[in-house]
Amino acid sequence: MDKNNPGYCDEKTFSDFFLNHSKLLHNFIYYKCGNFDMASDLVQDSFLKFWTNCSKVIPGKAKSFLFTIANNLFLNEFSKSKVVLNFKSTLPKDVTNESPEFLLEEKEFDAKLQNAIGNLTEAQRIAFLMNRIDGKKYREIAEILNISVKAVEKRIHNALVSLRKEIENI
Amino acid sequence: MEQNYFLAKWLNGEIHEEELLKHISEDELRSYKKIISASNRLEAPEYNAEEAFTKLKSIQKKSNVRKLQFIRQFYKVAAVLTLFFASYYFISDTNTTYTTNLAEKTTFELPDHSNVNLNAESEIKFNPKNWKNNRELNLKGEAYFKVEKGSKFTVQTNLGKVQVLGTQFNVAVRDHYFEVNCYEGLVSVTYNNEVIKIPAGSRFKMLNSNTEFTNEHVEINPSWIKNNSNFKSMPYKFVIKELERQFNVSIKYDTKHENTLFTGSFTHTNLELALQAISIPLNLKFTIFSDKQVRLQ
Repeated sequence: MDKNNPGYCDEKTFSDFFLNHSKLLHNFIYYKCGNFDMASDLVQDSFLKFWTNCSKVIPGKAKSFLFTIANNLFLNEFSKSKVVLNFKSTLPKDVTNESPEFLLEEKEFDAKLQNAIGNLTEAQRIAFLMNRIDGKKYREIAEILNISVKAVEKRIHNALVSLRKEIENI
Repeated sequence: MEQNYFLAKWLNGEIHEEELLKHISEDELRSYKKIISASNRLEAPEYNAEEAFTKLKSIQKKSNVRKLQFIRQFYKVAAVLTLFFASYYFISDTNTTYTTNLAEKTTFELPDHSNVNLNAESEIKFNPKNWKNNRELNLKGEAYFKVEKGSKFTVQTNLGKVQVLGTQFNVAVRDHYFEVNCYEGLVSVTYNNEVIKIPAGSRFKMLNSNTEFTNEHVEINPSWIKNNSNFKSMPYKFVIKELERQFNVSIKYDTKHENTLFTGSFTHTNLELALQAISIPLNLKFTIFSDKQVRLQ
């Protein structure tokens, strides 16, 4: 899945593993807490823990193991606090067609959306953003979070429903 | 009931808009499209994996160093512990030994307050650590025991084993000579895989492989603890040996007397008196030389 090489205690395997997955892990934690530095620290701690337990990693389960570590560390260290996400929102590529009003509207909508995303449940937010931002397939998300594809669909579906309600009601 | 997460399916391209519109209105579809297009513009904050990895490496290195130090610490502790246990092992396993030299006697107490009188040129060895459960000692030479009541008390000698529960008895082990006198209680002697019970006032004697059992003596304790050596039908060489032991002298005598049986006693306090005591019955004369040499003629 991640590697054919089963030994995560191998330096090279580990560094590849890190470079391939640290960003997703970072995002995952960021979606949870909305704190960039906290996410960076947790990524570091998670990988260190992964490294010390590298011999216990079951090949093919490495990713899910890593995310479980991160999740546990997250739960250990932080109580739930209000999540304020701060995403960069890139401008659409066909900027030229847009009027300044439209752009302003767009910006407003983005702000609303970001706020609404912050109000999603953690589970919905993670599934939704992993799909949207990280471009992960439902199957991959399911694998990482150790849940069924059906459960991922449910989270994303419900995320969309809540987002629409939140944005339109406000 | 199978839940239909049509929004998720639509988002994943599994169903078309037409299908979706069966579930939601056009307005709603428009909103969702807007949400999705807006969310597509979202980007997670810039995260540099390479940089993070370099940082991780440095931490790893540090923690590796710490690990080494920990191992070194571990070795230190292990070394100290090993030393401690080793010394404990040696110290605790070293038996307590009491020895007497020629012309020397001693009295001491065992951990259970049993009393031991040790005659000249004798040795007692025992393990005080396990004394409570295993009252066993090794004897070379001659000793008189006043044993406190308690568990089995064993005297091991190279000629036999003496076992009691609580009593007073004397054990003498010399070359080809093994004698056990019981003054109180009951003593059991194991000699040549044979167990012999010796009641109070009895004596077991082995001399040159001949065993003898008598129940005649009336003393209440061995004479030697009162600085007297008593002999009854003992070959003369044993008497001479004992005298040599008691006075730390060396006696030269005619070997024809070696196996002459001797009955009598000598004192441990005066060499001349003692020599008289053993020489007169055999009609011998003694000469004392200055360097602890004695000649009997």
